[in-house]
Formats: sequence, C-alpha cells, structure tokens
Amino acid sequence: MAGKGGAAPSTYSPSPTTQKTKSRIFGNDDVDWVRSDGREFHQCRPAFFKTGAVNAAAGSAYAEFGNTKVIVSVFGPRESKKAMMYSDIGRLNCNVSYTTFATPVRGQGSDHKEFSSMLHKALEGAIILETFPKTTVDVFALVLESGGSDLPVVISCASLALADAGIMMYDLVTSVSVSGLGKNLVIDPILEEESYQDGSLMLTCMPSRYEVTQLTITGEWSTPKINEGMQICLDACSKLAAVMRACLKGPDSTLEE
Amino acid sequence: MVLPDASGDVLSEMDVDAFRRLFPLRFFETHLVKSTRPDGRSLAEARETSSALGAVASADGSALVKIGSTRMLAAIKMEVMTPSKESPDEGCIAIDFHMPPICSPTVRPGRPAEAAPVVSKQLSDTISSCGMINLKELSLISRKAAWMAYLDIYCLDADGALFDAALLSAVAAFSHLQIPVVSMNDDGKVVVLSGDHGGKEPVNKGKRKLTLSSIPFSLTCLLHKNYILADPTAEEESVMETLVTVVLDSSGQLVSLYKPGGPVLAYTSAIQDCVALTRQRARELQTILDEVTSSMEVD
Repeated sequence: MAGKGGAAPSTYSPSPTTQKTKSRIFGNDDVDWVRSDGREFHQCRPAFFKTGAVNAAAGSAYAEFGNTKVIVSVFGPRESKKAMMYSDIGRLNCNVSYTTFATPVRGQGSDHKEFSSMLHKALEGAIILETFPKTTVDVFALVLESGGSDLPVVISCASLALADAGIMMYDLVTSVSVSGLGKNLVIDPILEEESYQDGSLMLTCMPSRYEVTQLTITGEWSTPKINEGMQICLDACSKLAAVMRACLKGPDSTLEE
Repeated sequence: MVLPDASGDVLSEMDVDAFRRLFPLRFFETHLVKSTRPDGRSLAEARETSSALGAVASADGSALVKIGSTRMLAAIKMEVMTPSKESPDEGCIAIDFHMPPICSPTVRPGRPAEAAPVVSKQLSDTISSCGMINLKELSLISRKAAWMAYLDIYCLDADGALFDAALLSAVAAFSHLQIPVVSMNDDGKVVVLSGDHGGKEPVNKGKRKLTLSSIPFSLTCLLHKNYILADPTAEEESVMETLVTVVLDSSGQLVSLYKPGGPVLAYTSAIQDCVALTRQRARELQTILDEVTSSMEVD
C-alpha cells in the first residue's frame, strides 16, 4: 500500500513455526518436566480483569491471563434486526474475532465462527432473557493477543462485561480448560501446551449455583480422567469467580450495586 | 445549566440530558457562545493524550494510544518478501486500519464501518508521503529479500478524532519496532536467529531500528459557524459535520490537509487557524512521544 503499487507480493514469516524438542518432553511420562512459565500442573495463570474498558459500549471488560488478552463489549438491549421475528424473550448475539497480530504468525483477523457460536451457547443459559423482550443484546469479543485458553478467557470476560452492562443474569459465568499431556492434566494451558495436547476439556459453569452451562471434551479421555479434569475445572472456576466478583466491587468499577 | 430564554415552558422544565439528546445542536451552541464545551474544555484544547509502547508481545513493535476516550492499538509484524524488479533495494509497508465491532455501537459484525477504509487510505498516504521511513532501510539482500512491515491499527474505543489517534499510534509503533535478527538458511529462506546464532552470520547486524525522520503529527478540527473546535469527540462530530484534518511534520511543514466537504465552507483564515492549532498540537505530541520513547530506552 505505502510502497509501490500493484499486487501485494507474497510474504512469509521468518520465525520458526515448529519446535521439535519440546513435544518429546510433554509426551514422556517418566520425565519430570516443568511448564515453560514455571507453573505447577494445577496452577492457573494470574488473572487480571478490568470493567469499563470501552466507553462507547453499554458495558465492557478487559481480561488478561498471561499473554492471552481479550476485550469484550456489550451493546444493548437494543432494537433487533428488522428481519427478526417477533420474540417474547430477548435475543443474545455473540461475535468473536481475532486481531491480525494475535497469533505468532500474522493471520487474517477474521471472525471466529466456531468461538462465536460456543460463546453464545455458554452464556445463553445464564442470562435472564425474559428481562429484555423484543430486543437484542450484542456481545462482541476481540482477542488482542492469543496466548492459549482463548475461549475460556473470552467467556469469563464476556460474563463480566454483561454484568458491567447491567444485564440480568442468574450468576456470573466462568470457564476454565485443561489439557491432557501424557498422563498429566495441565490447567489453563498456554499456546505451546495446547498444540501438543492429547486431549482437552473445557468446562463453563455458574459457580454459585454449581451448574454447568457448557462442557466440551475432545481427544482421548478415560472416565476417571474426565472426573478428575472436571473437578479441577470446577475448583478453578469458583476461584476465578471470586477474582471477578472482586473486580466488580472494586473502586474503579462503574457498576452501582 | 441555564437554558436559552426563547426556549419556552416545555424546555425550561426539561432535564439537561433529555435536552442534550433532543436538541443536540442547540445544546452545543449554548456552550459555544460561552467559549466552552460540554466536557469542560476550551474550544482550542485537545483531550488528554497518553501512549504506552510494547503492549503486544507477539508483535515486533506495538503501541497503545489514548486521546480522551478514543483508544488505538497499533502493532507491526515483520515478514520477508522478494522485492519488486523496479525497486530491488526497498522494502514495503502495508497499513491497515480496523474498526472491530467492540469499538462503537454503530459497527456491526460482517458490516465493516464506512470510516475504516477512509482512515486506512489517509494513513497510508500520509506515512508514505511524509518520508518518515526510508524504505531502503527495510532491504535485507538486494534483489533477493526485503522486509514487508505489516502495520495493523485497531480502534478499541471510538470517540472522535480517529485519524489523529491512529496516526500517533502508528508513529509510536514504528518508534518501538525492533527488527528481528535474521540470516539466510541453506534453502534460501530468511529465518530468525536464535540466541546462539547457530554459526550463521546475521544479514542485518546493527540494523534493528528504523531511523524516523520528519515525523507526521495531525490535528482534526471541527468547523461550526465561526467556531473552530480542536480534537472533537464522537458526539461533536455527529452533531457538527465539517471536519478539517491538518498533518504537519516535525519541522513544521505541511504534509496534508483534508477537508472532506461538509456544510461549512471555510475561509482561508479558518484554515490558517487550523494550521496554527496543529502546529501547537504537534509540539505537545512530540513531547509525549519523546517521553515514551526515552522511558523505553531506560528499560
């Protein structure tokens, strides 16, 4: 664009895309490996939340888990699209997109359809849709930087943004994932760990009600491992909820209770 | 808040917020006659501006800029390309401005904001024409490899003067840019050198920073009747529609002047006033930029 005119030349990233040595360590059950950020297997990254990140929105929140950084804005309740049918209850509209520089190799920065739909399903059960009939609440997320466990961070951040916007919910929604690496379960995996995982389990719940709104399991899992994974996630979710509640009550929050 | 005398009984009982929504133009004009604005600024005053470098770890250079509530995140990712035959010793810069749906209630997913491509083009034109970056510095191996700098600017919160904030974030991101040390591997591809260098000789030793000459600074002014409002908010831009954007470089020379129509036809004197305001603003922005870059060198 700023250079000479004509078609954009094809480019490639000079950074190496694969690290071969690490995968062997993850897979080997005999070696006592440590996580690259020095965490224990069942320790989450330090979580930081801030509400009111975007003034133009009705409610918003910023979340940072290590290198995973997301912003969620909530708009509405506002008029539903003209083409929508009449509805006694409110509608929830979710969208998740990535910045072009979010991933190690530059991406297209397009919408993430799968995450958009997962976010919708994770939140739907927690929102009291009856409180805003005929209208739509829009939940838009932008992943500024992807550092692993992106979807769980987006979901937790979105529920905080909804609370900031004053949308009625049964409870905050928190989400945590674990990766199966060999015989070990690691919680809140970073990008590198996610790329070598044998299986992943993501649990989304309403901690005060002890109700699960979403559970996705991929890869190879045995029943006792699933039980163990779920228990780890549920524990982490309730701790996460405490951090989020503290953020809502904090002095820099605009929420009036 | 005192309402105008002519407003009658209905208006005198009206709540300020309702008056602001129903009669936005009159609301602003009651402020303008007192040479003030609803947010307490004087007409020529820009909003508080701040900048932080290195906000995105996955990029080679990045900056976060805040002007009032308007917030921009700019990040540069360096990739390698084969230079064109016409300019074998030059790299390239690709600039893109994005307005994701999070930044404003008017942007919906799937329907890109109208303003985004306009600002994108303005930024490209300004940065390439002001001569801030010497494209020859982006060359790696003549005719074989050169850098393509992808600069992506995301508006995180849109509250007016988008071009000014985007340009400042672009300049700040370039000042933060650290070009990775690379070498040519056996397949003729350029790869990043890891810590031990692996016995390879880097091809761009000592060329990790770009020299930024003549940095562009801009100020958007809003014209309404005889008033000139510097650095308008989104609300001001929506009520009074005539904008003038002036870009000056660090030596005070005019880079570009942009007045995309609008109901107010400006006299030369008004344009001169805008340029004078921009000159003053450029000095402020230079100080802000110097502060953040010098604090980075300390680290």
